[in-house]
Amino acid sequence: MTTEELTALSVDKSVDARGTSCPGPLLAAKKAIGQIEKGQIMEVLSADEGTRRDIPKWCGKKGFEYLGTVEESGFFKIFLRK
Amino acid sequence: MTLALFSGSVDKLTAAGVILGGAAAEDMDVEIFVLLQAAFAFKKENAMVNDRVAEITDKKDEFLASLERLNTPHWTQAFKTAKEMTNVKIHICGFAGKVWHGEKLDDFIDLADDICGIGEYMASAEESDINLFI
Repeated sequence: MTTEELTALSVDKSVDARGTSCPGPLLAAKKAIGQIEKGQIMEVLSADEGTRRDIPKWCGKKGFEYLGTVEESGFFKIFLRK
Repeated sequence: MTLALFSGSVDKLTAAGVILGGAAAEDMDVEIFVLLQAAFAFKKENAMVNDRVAEITDKKDEFLASLERLNTPHWTQAFKTAKEMTNVKIHICGFAGKVWHGEKLDDFIDLADDICGIGEYMASAEESDINLFI
């Protein structure tokens, strides 16, 4: 998805993990994914560079759809569909 | 995953906690065997006050300050979080316990599940795809 498409998404769950270091954002995503239904969209906010690689890999292993990442000032917004 | 945890130093225990977090995110089953020096760190009276580091010891203060700056959970908290999120069993080696005068499970922090012998480690390592020594 393009940055424009990602930023236009209607997000069902937002997880702000900017205050944590690896593996905090990944664990925050793991906890939050249980709170949404299959097909719903979640965004993970992380200031951790490693997380932008971890989340797509984690999605692949868990069967979620990684939609893309938008780089903001000092953090990333990582989008996925359960 | 099987983890042979030998180190009793916070730098290596913190690394183990990060790896455990990764395992927890993937719902991986983890068996941890607490060996020799790690048993020291797992004793109730030592867990929270032990601040020894194994590597780059001349920069210990900088390392510990950075952990705090980065909101890194104490290794005991990282282990606890992993236990809450996936199947993690922590076994204290009976010999290691005795080295540090810990004869009973109650001598160790609540994270510990039981006291065992090396045979259980061998069985677990044989069955695991990932086997680490830290």
